Amino acid sequence: MTQPGRIFYFSLSFALPLVAAPLEKVGFNREIRPILSENCYYCHGPDEKHREEDLRLDIRADAIKAGAIVPGKPEESELIARIFTDDEDEIMPPPKTHKILTTEQKELLKRWIAEGAEYEEHWAFTAPQTPAVPAVKSKAAAFGNGIDAFILQKLEQNNAQLSAPADPHTLIRRVTFDLTGLPPTPAEVEAFVKACRNADGKGFTISQQAYEALIDRLLASPAYGEKMASMWLDYARYADSHGFQSDSSRSMWPWRDWVIRAFNENKPFDQFTIEQLAGDLLPQPSNAQLVATGFHRNHRINGEGGLIPEEWRIENIIDRVDTTGSTWLGLTLGCARCHDHKYDPISQKEFYQMFAFFNNIAETGVIVGPSNRAGGNMDPVVRVGTEAQLKYVKDLQAKIDKINATLKGAEKEIAAAQKTWEKSKLSHDQTPAAIKKIIANGAKRSKEQKALVDQYYRSSVDPTYKKIVTEREHLIKKLNSLDQITPMTMIMRELPKPRPAYVLNRGQYTEKGEEVTANTPAVLPALPAGAPRNRLTLAQWIVSPQNPLTARVWVNRQWERFFGNGIVKTSENFGMQSAPPSHPELLDWLATEFIRSSWDMKAMQKHMVMSATYRQSSNYKSTSPELLEKDPYNRLLSRAPRLRLPAESIRDQALTISGLLDHSIGGPSVRPYMPAGVWDETSVYGDLRNYKHDTNNGLYRRTLYTIWKRTAAPPTMLLFDSPSREICTVKRSNTNTPLQALALLNEVTYVEAARVLAQRMIKDGGSTPEQRLTWAFHQATLRQPTADELSILQNSLQKHLATYRAAPQEAAKLIDAGDAPVAAGDPIELAAYTVCANVILNLDEIIMRD
Amino acid sequence: MNPFILQAQDAINRRAFLSGSSSLLGLTALNSLLSPQLLQAASVPSVLSGFPHFPIKAKRVIYLFQSGAPSQMDLFDPKPQMAKLFGKDLPESIRQGQRLTGMTSKQKNFPIAPSIFKFAEHGESRATISELMPHIAGVADELCFIKSMHTDAINHDPAITFFQTGRQIAGFPSMGSWLSYGLGSENKDLPAFVVLSSFGSGRRDDQPLYDRLWGSGFLPTQHQGVKFRNTGDPVLYLSNPNGMSASTRRQTLDDLNALNQQRFGVVGDPDIEARIAQYEMAFRMQTSVPELTDFSKEPQHIIDMYGPDVKRPGSYAANCLLARRLAERDVRFVQLFHMGWDQHFTLPKAIRGQCHDTDQPTAALIKDLKQRGLLDDTLIVWGGEFGRTIYSQGALTKDNYGRDHHPRCFTIFLAGGGIKPGMTVGETDEFSYNILRDPVSIFDLHATMLNRMGVDHNRLTFKFQGLDAKLTGVEKAHAIRSILL
Repeated sequence: MTQPGRIFYFSLSFALPLVAAPLEKVGFNREIRPILSENCYYCHGPDEKHREEDLRLDIRADAIKAGAIVPGKPEESELIARIFTDDEDEIMPPPKTHKILTTEQKELLKRWIAEGAEYEEHWAFTAPQTPAVPAVKSKAAAFGNGIDAFILQKLEQNNAQLSAPADPHTLIRRVTFDLTGLPPTPAEVEAFVKACRNADGKGFTISQQAYEALIDRLLASPAYGEKMASMWLDYARYADSHGFQSDSSRSMWPWRDWVIRAFNENKPFDQFTIEQLAGDLLPQPSNAQLVATGFHRNHRINGEGGLIPEEWRIENIIDRVDTTGSTWLGLTLGCARCHDHKYDPISQKEFYQMFAFFNNIAETGVIVGPSNRAGGNMDPVVRVGTEAQLKYVKDLQAKIDKINATLKGAEKEIAAAQKTWEKSKLSHDQTPAAIKKIIANGAKRSKEQKALVDQYYRSSVDPTYKKIVTEREHLIKKLNSLDQITPMTMIMRELPKPRPAYVLNRGQYTEKGEEVTANTPAVLPALPAGAPRNRLTLAQWIVSPQNPLTARVWVNRQWERFFGNGIVKTSENFGMQSAPPSHPELLDWLATEFIRSSWDMKAMQKHMVMSATYRQSSNYKSTSPELLEKDPYNRLLSRAPRLRLPAESIRDQALTISGLLDHSIGGPSVRPYMPAGVWDETSVYGDLRNYKHDTNNGLYRRTLYTIWKRTAAPPTMLLFDSPSREICTVKRSNTNTPLQALALLNEVTYVEAARVLAQRMIKDGGSTPEQRLTWAFHQATLRQPTADELSILQNSLQKHLATYRAAPQEAAKLIDAGDAPVAAGDPIELAAYTVCANVILNLDEIIMRD
Repeated sequence: MNPFILQAQDAINRRAFLSGSSSLLGLTALNSLLSPQLLQAASVPSVLSGFPHFPIKAKRVIYLFQSGAPSQMDLFDPKPQMAKLFGKDLPESIRQGQRLTGMTSKQKNFPIAPSIFKFAEHGESRATISELMPHIAGVADELCFIKSMHTDAINHDPAITFFQTGRQIAGFPSMGSWLSYGLGSENKDLPAFVVLSSFGSGRRDDQPLYDRLWGSGFLPTQHQGVKFRNTGDPVLYLSNPNGMSASTRRQTLDDLNALNQQRFGVVGDPDIEARIAQYEMAFRMQTSVPELTDFSKEPQHIIDMYGPDVKRPGSYAANCLLARRLAERDVRFVQLFHMGWDQHFTLPKAIRGQCHDTDQPTAALIKDLKQRGLLDDTLIVWGGEFGRTIYSQGALTKDNYGRDHHPRCFTIFLAGGGIKPGMTVGETDEFSYNILRDPVSIFDLHATMLNRMGVDHNRLTFKFQGLDAKLTGVEKAHAIRSILL
């Protein structure tokens, strides 16, 4: 939880009137760079090899020296001549690029040069400075914080305002989903609404005290860690399978559970980062810190027959560089794999300097042996468990090792005795036929046959050793049986001596160029002098307060979760081609506050959801038509966004409303319902086949625990925009398709949820249809239905009752959906209510959070 | 328009889309919301500005992917000179240090395995086709062979991913999703991109397929291919729950629409109207898909044309007939995957099985489209992810051999859709090991396909990681001029 001393700056001054700004100078970062980057840098930018006419426009001195820009004199600047000309051979950008400058853009460039053609460093590459919280005119809400000052400043400049606060039941549903991924219970809603009811009984005012208590409760709930983890699993490309070809299973769930725990414990983001990138390099790392390094073992691993291991080891390391860049820095480092970056000042050499940090793991980079088809982890690995459990395992292993040593010492003796036994005809009465057959062939036997006979002799015949061989088998069995409780998980482990790293020409593993040593891109602050060039130093550099990107990237993604869009809309990319921030000062303020709070993730989120901006209504009708026209994407935040729930929450909500959800945390992945054949229609390989759904609570666990086979991921997850987890994905799309409708209408999970909700409304909802439907509607939407809404459902209920009375066998079929026990009672009534519940669970209001 | 986004009218009603399009939504996304006709009506510029960039020769594509990599020298690229070199080592002058897969790189020698199959010339085009493909031989004059395809990958997973997405690594959109995104759908009741899969009888335990092969990568997920299933509902969750009739379903949708409409009245979010439209589309699919997959009204002579396998759901033959029915309904991109071509061992037996599965139905599909006048504007592509080696993997005998993966050359063929029929492009050396003439990259093939759809491959782009990402990658790609009608 938020710790004392890590509280945010929390005051607002509304005293100073806003001073009207004079006609503003053209801003390089705001206006000019996006034009130059999009249209010119590809050929006249950082990439040296592909630069045309030796002209670069991303550096002022070079552009001036080449005559492209003459500051103050647009009429003498070649750049201006070239963009305004009609000559097809002269015009820039050239027609073949299909890029066309608008008149407005051309005029901006002209004005900018006339004003002196001043460049600015790319905002994201310079460290954020804490800006002053602006003074604003309006007092937007009874309580709020610095965030609102920045938002209001922009709104006021546009003669707009925040919307009215959302009503309490909407707000509690919104914030509970946003922080825990689950809906609130009706009782929680009732308590909060009561606390917000005005003294005169008319209307509501959000109580600061009650709201803050609500936020604190949500942030302290274990479901918070699960919600945060579901986002992090996309970044980390976490899955339960290896991801290539046979795509067999692996065990990385201990890492997933580490993530949930870390979020719940509110591990500061810097520590959270260091442990995942370099926990193994910390002094005397704990078992948990080793598990944390699984972050960079989550990538896919190939085991296809005939592959060349080095090719895939290199691919995996490149994946780690890409993932690190996207997750922490908001940089598209992967663009510099084959050549210098086209837009950002990151050279190909610098890409391979980053590569060198991840190049020294004691790994082969591929899956070899039975794991490829049968499933399993590849080294390095660690066993996970409590101290006592690990000691128990260690003791078991020691016993096995001792027996192995004894047997090895006696190998000659045993072999000789076996030979004698094989030759003796007398002692073979008990020998199984299969073994006898092999022995009959004499010395001619295959490797497998030899193993079979040796094994049989040692465990069943040899008078001296059969006892300890049997004991060893017993111990191994015991050890294996512990895998579910103290599982193995893949981790990072550094080689004693680093592997040499090279620039790889065209990104090809065979084409080694210049040798490089580990380092960070020159455009960003340098590594501390004298620090070892290893992952730990890299991790510490990423979360050093001087790093201009990390804190901005993180707060922006949190903002995106709560407000629909990031302050930087391209939350995946903060480079030159990124969208300029809608509220640059706010972004810097949040980033610097985040660092100042010692990277306190819960405090940062609390700050965001406590703001009046977050708490306002999402109703479109509160926005004027003029503002809708002017700001169709609500970048000014004159209302809260309405957002479709993420894939996980859609299912978790149905399980919650029906009362089926199992809240237990962590453990091996589970198998809920899935249509037959999803795994098997495209593959006869690997151990992830013949899917059978669980028959216990595995059916009702939170969706983030669903087993994830990457080449055939859970279909409803994909339908609701989840990535396949093959590569790092920091942003999901948000679509609305008929296939989603079919899933929510017909998939057994949702039909079962409807049926169980129907059972509950019959049992707990009262005695009349009106009472029951009202109860169910309230359970789901957490508000009372209007008279019209209720009458729609009631009228249909009567029709459904008539339908099923005429065809009782159909009623029996419908209520048979799912494994949950069917309540005793009238099946016709249950079926009719199930159909109504199916409608309720498909309401737009259910799929969205307002 | 693309039915997977919005009802056109809803889209037009959304002032936000129209007024804010150029600044925020981005023209690319807008284009997928509205059909070209609607774009005109609403006078909104399309991202594919100037579309069509070329005359539209193909309105739809049927891609018959032969997964596992068919052996070119046993099917379409005969090398009779090899007979004399039986069992001789492949000369190093031919191999030139070519990297080999781990399956044969440790072989002591690389014995040449001449094809045991007979070849003959067929049709006026005198295409040389193996005895394994008698039906294909019968339509030789419809086909355009490319014997000089090449790729960079030597393992299946990266190679097939390369073919489908233009990259060997995961995360990029498949070609069908690019077309769905760029051109939308012509059918308001079916998706724009449909995928069908079948197991081959040549090798039951053959290379698997992966969701990413029809995935949408960084494009919005509604462009991912809809994989029709061979068991249960053809489209996931299409059927109403057991015990719920179509009329009850209709009633629930009427209720749902009425309730959502009320909600729209309160909160005014245009997304609610879009959702209502999607639920209606879902309902229409409940009729259109079963109608599509119901072969009962196909006359006997058509059934006979595709062969006896057509009656087995999920067979390649059944999928070919389904592909024709999808083409009739103007589904933009239909992709079949037939597994079983990865013949490292006992190739002669396995390839007979594969050809038995595919020869007749492939030829039937071409003839059937032609007799319906659909071949002219339907582009057919047949081929695998790489080729196979002239040398034998494992023991070589007179009538048995295996072949390893070979990326340097392989054969595919195209038909219909503005491609010149009855011709051949490219030539390989006498070992079918290196290309002698007119190499064609996967990017060139993609550019050619897009060209026939009226699309300049350089202009079908999506902003990703700051780049104008495209199917054809960063290296220069060219449509194969010589085969364009």
